Formats: sequence, structure tokens, C-alpha cells
Amino acid sequence: MNRQIRLIGIAIMVLFVVLFVQLNWLQIVHAPALEANPLNGRAVVKEYTTKRGDIVTADGTTLATSVPTNDQFKYLRQYPTGSLFEQITGFFSFTYGSDGAERTYDKVLTGSSSPFKLPTSLSQLRNLLANHDHSQSITLTVLDKLQKVAQAQLAGRVGSVVALDPRTGAILAMYSNPTFDPNLLSGHDLTKVQANYKTLTTSAGGVLSPAGYRQRFFPGSTFKIIDSAAVFDHQPALATKVYPTLSALPLPQTTNLLHNFAGETCGGQLLELFTVSCNTGFGQVGLDLGATSLSDEAHSFGFDQTPPIDLPYAAQSNFPPAASFAQDLPGLAFSAIGQQNVQATPLEMAMAASAIADGGTIMTPHVLGHITNSQNQVVSTYQAKPWLQATSPATAGQVTQLMLSVVNNPRGTGAGARIPGVAVAAKTGTAQTGTGQIDAWFAAFAPAAAPTIAVAVLLPNQPSANEYQGGTLAAPIAKAMIQAYLAGAAGGGAAPVPAPTSP
Amino acid sequence: MSSTPVPARRRTELGLILLVVLLTGGLYALAGFGKAGNLPANIGPFLGIIFALLLVAHLAMRRLAPNADPILLPTAGLLNGIGYVFIARLSSHEARLQAVWTALGIASFVATLLVVRRARDLERYRYSFAFAGIVLLLLPLAPGIGEDINGARLWIHVGSFNFQPGEIAKLALAVFFASVLVERGDLLSQATRRIGRFLVLDPRYLAPILAAWGLSLLIFLSENDLGSSFLFFALFIGMLWVATGRAYFLGLGAILFGFGSYLSLKVIGHAKTRVQGWLNPWAHASTSGYQLIQGWFAIAAGGLFGEGPGQSNASHIPEASTDLIFAVIANELGLVGASAMLFGYLLMVGTGLRVALRCDRPFEKLLATGLSLIIGVQTFVIVGGVTRLIPLTGITLPFVSYGGSSLIANYILLALLLRISHDTESPPLLRDDAAGALIGQAAA
Repeated sequence: MNRQIRLIGIAIMVLFVVLFVQLNWLQIVHAPALEANPLNGRAVVKEYTTKRGDIVTADGTTLATSVPTNDQFKYLRQYPTGSLFEQITGFFSFTYGSDGAERTYDKVLTGSSSPFKLPTSLSQLRNLLANHDHSQSITLTVLDKLQKVAQAQLAGRVGSVVALDPRTGAILAMYSNPTFDPNLLSGHDLTKVQANYKTLTTSAGGVLSPAGYRQRFFPGSTFKIIDSAAVFDHQPALATKVYPTLSALPLPQTTNLLHNFAGETCGGQLLELFTVSCNTGFGQVGLDLGATSLSDEAHSFGFDQTPPIDLPYAAQSNFPPAASFAQDLPGLAFSAIGQQNVQATPLEMAMAASAIADGGTIMTPHVLGHITNSQNQVVSTYQAKPWLQATSPATAGQVTQLMLSVVNNPRGTGAGARIPGVAVAAKTGTAQTGTGQIDAWFAAFAPAAAPTIAVAVLLPNQPSANEYQGGTLAAPIAKAMIQAYLAGAAGGGAAPVPAPTSP
Repeated sequence: MSSTPVPARRRTELGLILLVVLLTGGLYALAGFGKAGNLPANIGPFLGIIFALLLVAHLAMRRLAPNADPILLPTAGLLNGIGYVFIARLSSHEARLQAVWTALGIASFVATLLVVRRARDLERYRYSFAFAGIVLLLLPLAPGIGEDINGARLWIHVGSFNFQPGEIAKLALAVFFASVLVERGDLLSQATRRIGRFLVLDPRYLAPILAAWGLSLLIFLSENDLGSSFLFFALFIGMLWVATGRAYFLGLGAILFGFGSYLSLKVIGHAKTRVQGWLNPWAHASTSGYQLIQGWFAIAAGGLFGEGPGQSNASHIPEASTDLIFAVIANELGLVGASAMLFGYLLMVGTGLRVALRCDRPFEKLLATGLSLIIGVQTFVIVGGVTRLIPLTGITLPFVSYGGSSLIANYILLALLLRISHDTESPPLLRDDAAGALIGQAAA
């Protein structure tokens, strides 16, 4: 009997060794393949059942937060401000993934990016043992009150407002209509979320695509900022050339004419052309500069490059390559006034203004201010860095004078942005969209001596009725933004960084 | 007897029990942290209760089986504790019930030690055990109290009270097999007859093995319980082989098992889907392969060190507290924890077999072998099922899975093993059955 008992012992040991080998195969060798299996919902659910940190504005308003629930997802993502910040925070949906800062900073919010550190305190040990409190919160550079001003100023009209700090590239506000409430997509009721998504995808205006940095428009006369910078960078003599007073510019290679807005006549030196936004003058300036100079200048201002903003799928602004104008000089003239194939996002035009404001430098645009851990300690702070040197400080100074004239000269198109006691530098734009409608633009910065805010405002598809619509429609919005920001900055309310507190 | 000093092995046992309480308490605290981010509120009472329960069992050992092996009880307590922590982590409702079941299990353990004062006494009631075993096995088929759960009919319910009688039946049958095989073993070992050049099994001796096969097939066909069916048959064949020393019983058993499996596959839908889900789970990922695949994903996600107690999302794992509890454990404790757990079972089986080896009476020897075999085979069947070495069946992981009948049965099994161990280790002169043992040895 004993022999059989020993053999049974050996047999069972062999069986257990087989189990052990199988476990090794499953947990070590085959594990990566199983993890990657499309049927494996664990990773997705894990992601969605992990507590995410909050998203907060620089002035302390909570934009996104995770609320504990009793269902399998454990947490519901909620957006207390509704549609106001959707185009910055994006959304976080089990069914449709994520967008905006929720997408860019996903790993930060869940804490999966935080490096493993040996716990040195009881609370850190607790965090290590519990899986749900690795979450980190992000504080954005955007200001709730400025975003609200943008929303109020647009007053329900389709349009886009982008404001940034030219010194750092920090986005201060970025609001567009149409927008939507991200709570519609973050719910856990699958059928409801699907119905909401369907409604959003079929609604007009590309509501899922934030106009501020993902949609392109003809920049119109705001592009003259870049023409002027090109003049000072490439052919400074053109700044003092006197252009003939015309109502329409005859173009080479064609019998077509380039008309001034509303049949006006204008001409003179660059300052005059810029102040009244003279199309015939700038059409000729473009032809005088040549395709290469203009194209190079546009490129150095960020055209045809994806802006490195920390939000997903940012659109490139477009300026046609120089070679394409060889047989199309009329196209060059029209491109110089921001028409034809020139297209820009509101973000790009805000960056163009900020380049002039910041001595020629475009700082990397960003929405992240700093990251805090669950104990509200600052883990890391965004370090501002330059993106492009668009032009020289000298040129920036010259163009600033032109832009100041737009607001301050009695004949300037941007008088609507005048603020008593503040030197506002700006350029209007009234781009013809070819359907009898216009896109009203305004790109500005202030205070001119030491700029702290640059703004781009766009109201697309406005009826082509009033004179200088960029100046009448878009300028007051930019003015309100600048006033609100400077008032806040004076009151010391801008971008408070919470002092690190120990638990 | 009461004047005998407490053997050192009882002190070893007490030390190991303290270690078990610390390990289980630590795991409970970690799981609480992992799940809720703070120390479980009831950690104090929890430690107190597991210590009290194991202490009761230990004191019963001191009193009733002082010379028994010191490793088995703490090992079972550890497995029980780990199982409880994972059940508590999955469902607080089941945890409350499991705590009651554990208390009842310990009570059964003490009661068994109290009632069975000598293991050989069991031999006398062999036919009562046989009857009880078969009745218990077939009880779920009785109309009115039997209940189908997950396609298998192995439960009875009276009122709101569910019980799996097969768990107790396996012990009764082990006792019956041991006594019958000891008596008939010699006969069975000469059960061959020479016909011409061939050695043929005498049909008369074929009857018991065919009866066992028939019974096991009956369980399978009527109750759809592949796991228990295999367990009974393996138990019987294993014990038959140990009793006779004839390897052809193993071959015969394998052939009969293969034939029975083939037969039932053709007949039962439930078995067919189980095997389908086993052979090609990916083609049936949302139906018959679902459990297996979700279990695999969980095990794979565990990796070497696991996701941490309480830290994974177990909502994807079906039957997480019963059939697939091993997947949850492998997920949260990783390869390291799962292997340690397997080692715990191996330790129990090995210790049980050592008890068998040291026995001098064949009945106890065979019974101890059978009981150890139950733990080993049952563990292999369910862990092998979860890891897809064999088809997944609804059998419990001893001491770990949620379930009252399983816990009680396993604690009784443990008490029997320890009773045998005590009988063997007690100095012959102190035994009141010393003379009987000598006669038994002479007869063997």
C-alpha cells in the first residue's frame, strides 16, 4: 500500500506542477496577448473605474469631477459648468472615448503617469495600497470669469473667442458657439448616450469640433498683420512707398480687379493702408513682396504647422506654397488680404497678435497650469516655452504702431475697441466667404507697452451690410475681454496658484 | 490521559495559528485599503473572531487529539481565511453568510473529533455510510427540494436554505470505500483468471467497479455535475489501486471514464457546452466560453505580483466567489500569491498522505489516502478548469470558495484526518486499543 500512496503523492505533485506551469504561461508568457485581446474589456473598464482627478480653472471653478456611483463604472464624470468649457475640457465617455484636456491629460488625471515612489508617509502608503487615489487634478490656465464674458458677448451667436497671455502662451479663454454639454456623453446609460451622440453628430456647425482650434476660416484683413511684418522683415522700403489711391486694383495675368470693401477708395503709405485696412494697397504690397517672402512670413507665424497646443487634433492654418503663385499672381494679391486659399483658426490669429505683442515670439499655446496630487500638493507646473520666433522685436515694434493706429486713429477701423487709459493694438478683418456673407474678425492685444492679453474674435457668416464689420461686430467683444481681464489682473484675481498644503 | 503533558506539536500548532491570524488580518486590511482606501472598520472584531474560531479548534485538538499533526489545521485555517477575505471583498452579504458557515464548519470539526473517538470505529458503520452517501448524492433529484443552478442539479433547498449534499456524500463514500476495499482488497488483487494466454478479470470482481462507474455516471447524467462525478470515480479508482496494488484497475478506470465521457457528451447538452467552451472558448466567447475567457483575462491581468488585494474590478468575473474564486485570487495576488495558495493545498495533501503512510492499520491508511486524494483532486479539477487544463466544472475550491456545505464537509474531512493522525502518533502503550492494533497488524 505504501508504494501506491507515495505514487499518489507524486502524481498529485505532478498535477500541481502542471497547474503551476499553466499559471506561468497565463500570467507571464501569454499575458500580453490576453491583455491585448479585443474581447478583453478589463483595461477599458479599469480606466473608467479609476478615479479621475478634477479639472479646475485658474480662478478655482471646478470644470470636471468624478462622482462615486454604485454601478460597475464606480465613478460618473460630471461637468458642473455644462457647455461653457466643453471645448477645453472635452468629454470623457465610456462609449465614445474622450476629447479635449480629458484626452490629453488622461494619464495625469488617473495618476497612471505618476512614477512609483517608495512611500515615506502613512498617507502615501495608503495611496499605494488603495488603487483609487492615485488621481491627480489639473488646474488650467483658463479663467472662468473670462470664459463667461466670451459666452455672454457672443450672446448665442455662432462665433469663437480665443484669449491668451502673449508672455506665456497660456490660454485664458477659448469659447465657441455652437457648443454642447459634455454631461450628455459622460452618462452611464448607454442608449441615452448613443442617442445624444447621434443628435450631436447630426446637428449643424460641427459641434463636436471646437471652432477655436479645430476649424479654419478666411482670416481676411487680419492677415495684413503678417503682410506688414513681412514688409519690415523682407523689404522695409515698402513701408514708406506711397501706394496710389484706388477703389479697385488691376491685377496681372487677368482682367479681374481687386476691389476695396464697399467700393471705397484708399491709398498711401503702409501706416495709412493698415489703419483703414486698404485692400487695393495690400494687394499691391503682396505683389511687391513676392510669393516667397509672404509664404515664408506666414510659415514663421505658424501657418502650415500644427500648433503644439495641449489639446488633441489641433488644425493647421494654411497658406499656399510659394510655387503655387508662379502662374497665379492674382491669387497672391488675394492671399495678401487673407482670401483665396488662406485659412486660419481663431487660435492662429490670436497667436499672430501675441507674436507682435511678445516681441516677435509665439509661446507654446497651452491650457495646463499645474498638476496637483490628491493631497492638493502641486506635483508639477507647466513651464512656458517659445514655439516660434515669428519675427524680430524691431518688426514687432513697428507692427504694434500700425495696430495702435487701427484703434486710435479717427479713421481707424478698430475704434470700437478703444478703452480709456489702455493702449489697445488691433487689426480688423472682414473676410468675404463668397456667399454674400462675411466673416467678421478682430485680433488685438493690450496694453501695448507691456501686453498681458491677446485676443482673436471671429463671427462667421454675418450678413454683408454694415461697413467694417470686423470693427463693428467683433471689436466690442475683444474690448470686453480685454477690459474684464485687465480689471481682474488689477484686482489680483488672475491665476491664483494654491499654496502647497500638507495634509 | 489528562495527566499527559501537552505535546510540542500543539504548541507548534498554536504558533502557526497566530501566524495565520496575522496573515489573514493583514490581507483583510490590505483588501480594505484597496477597495475603500482605508482600514476596514471591523478589523478588530475580524481578528478577534478568526482567532477565537481557530482557538476553539485548537483547544479541541489539545483535548481530543493532542498527538495529531500540527500543520493541517493552521493550513486549512489560512486557506479559509484567504477565501473569506476575497469573498468579503466581492460581496459583504456573502461574507456574513460565510462567517456563519465558517463557525458551523469549526463546530462540525469539534463535533467530529468528539464523536469519532477512534477512526476504526467508523468501519463498523460502513453500510450506513454507503446508504447515507448514495441518498445524499441522489437527494437533489428528489422533486420539491432539488434545484437547478447553472444547468447542474446538485443543490437542495429547504425554505431559504441551500445545501449541496454531494459535498458530505464524498466523505461518507470515502469511509465506505475504505472499509470495503480493506476487507476485499486481497480478493480483488487476485481477481484475474487465466484463459489461454490471457489474464482476464473475473467478472465477479468487476461488479463493484462497474457499480461505482454506474453511480458516477448516474450523477453525471441526472445532475449534470461533471466535477463531482469525476471526483467520485477518481476517488474510487485511486483507493482501489492503493488497496490492491494492481495497476490494471487504473487502466480499466481510465477506459471506463473515457467511455462514460464520450457517452454523456452525446447525450447531455450541458456537458457538450462545457466541453465546447473548453476546446474552443474564443468561438463561444459570449456563451459557453465566457466564464473561462473572463477568468483568463483576470488571471493574465494579475501578472507576477497581482493587482493588489481589493484593487481590481471583479465585476467582469462571473461566479467570482465560487467557481472562479481562484481567478480573482490569481488576479489580485498574482502568480506569487496563486502559487503560494497551490503550495498550501500541496502541503495539506502531502501531510495527509504522510498521515496515511505512518498508519499501521489498513483501514485508516486507506481512509487517510482517500481523504487526501479528495483535497488534491478537487483542487486540481477546479484550478485546472479555471486555467483551462481541463473542462471547467462547478466544483468548489476546498476551504476557499463561498459555500456552507463545502466548508462544513472539508472541516469534517480535516477532523477525520487529524483523528487518524492522533491515533497513529499516540504511543501504543497509552492506547486502549493497543491489543486490537497488534492483532490488526498481524492480520495485515
